[in-house]
Amino acid sequence: MATVAIPAAKWSWQSPYPQVRTSTSLDADLELVERCLSGQEAAWEDLVRVHTRRVYSICYRFTNSDSEAQDLTQEVFLRVFKNLKSFRAGEGLFIVWLTRLARNLLIDHYRRTRLDRATESIEDHVATLEESTASIARTEGMVAGREASELLQAALQKLSPELRETVILRDLEELEYREIAQVLNVPEGTVKSRLNRGRSELAKALRRQKIRI
Amino acid sequence: MTCAELEILLADYVDGTLHAGERAALESHLEACPACKQLADEVQGVTAFLERVPEAEPPAELLTRIMHHAPLGRKGAAAEAPPVYAKPSWAKRAWSGMWGGFVQGWLQPRYVMGMAMTILSFSMLARFAHIEPRQLRASDLDPVKVWQGIDDHSHRVYDRAMKYYDNLRLVIEIQSRLREWTDQDPSQAGAPGQATRANGAAAQPAASERGSQR
Repeated sequence: MATVAIPAAKWSWQSPYPQVRTSTSLDADLELVERCLSGQEAAWEDLVRVHTRRVYSICYRFTNSDSEAQDLTQEVFLRVFKNLKSFRAGEGLFIVWLTRLARNLLIDHYRRTRLDRATESIEDHVATLEESTASIARTEGMVAGREASELLQAALQKLSPELRETVILRDLEELEYREIAQVLNVPEGTVKSRLNRGRSELAKALRRQKIRI
Repeated sequence: MTCAELEILLADYVDGTLHAGERAALESHLEACPACKQLADEVQGVTAFLERVPEAEPPAELLTRIMHHAPLGRKGAAAEAPPVYAKPSWAKRAWSGMWGGFVQGWLQPRYVMGMAMTILSFSMLARFAHIEPRQLRASDLDPVKVWQGIDDHSHRVYDRAMKYYDNLRLVIEIQSRLREWTDQDPSQAGAPGQATRANGAAAQPAASERGSQR
């Protein structure tokens, strides 16, 4: 019987957002900003391409909603486009400036939607109860990948915004303590203290979901 | 080492950036203090868990969406920047003020459309009332004269419509057929009714015959 050879796929899905955060990328940021301010159209797209992953990730982890994270990411970049000149005026890392912009927007969004969350909290409580009774099966073994991501999302929402943002910036976005202190405008000691409390509360929230820490 | 001091150093301890002396002091405190030991275990456990969590990947279309809205943001940036140009002369400013403030306001589509509809309706009304705008005089606008004009015109239109209706071939045919029917002999017109009655009378004996057979 004749066999038909199926050609291997010539393409593979590649994310348009590159992995960044190297020592050279910080210099590249400054160069990119200069190019944007000098009026080079392509530089704007490069700037968005390089930093969308970080901004989206922070927004998604904080809000636990893909659509809200997309809207907020778009809003962050609109503000970047409008206020990029003010970055050059101030001295510091672009990544800190950008993260501070995103964080301020997130806090505004958090305050604006506080009432909506209050009405949803009862439904969440019921869902959590159901989940805690149904998730006994995964107490053994290591959770990872998508399941770990979903569990983390649920646990992060139990944290206060101050603790949540600190954990996100340090443990997920891997910013330095000094950078986090600049973003949040608090001393480094406060960052570390919040981080300890945030991690501890996160551990408790994960345990409530029957995750062994 | 106190519990408060440990809390300050715990983050660096987890990161592995603590000096050997501080690390030894911290670890000896952990052995002696169950509360701090629990905190340290939780913190270390969470950091290990977070390392297994994959990075959130934004959808590919988000880039397109942001760039689609990008000109809006950059336009805003341009608007905020102080414009650099020479001060125009007073004549130019007066002309641009008149053009921008008055003429351009009236040239908006809704105003133009509204004015066109007004002119059209007035011209139709004037035509119906037999007012010629080209030779319009003050006496033509007298209400009595306008009313007479409308009345006269409406009668003429009515007569013309009736004449047209009467001359229609279909109307003539229908009228002539109706006339034929009304002119027919009344005895012939009643024949179908008599026939029905005769049939009814004939049907009755047949029914009685069927009843006697049973």
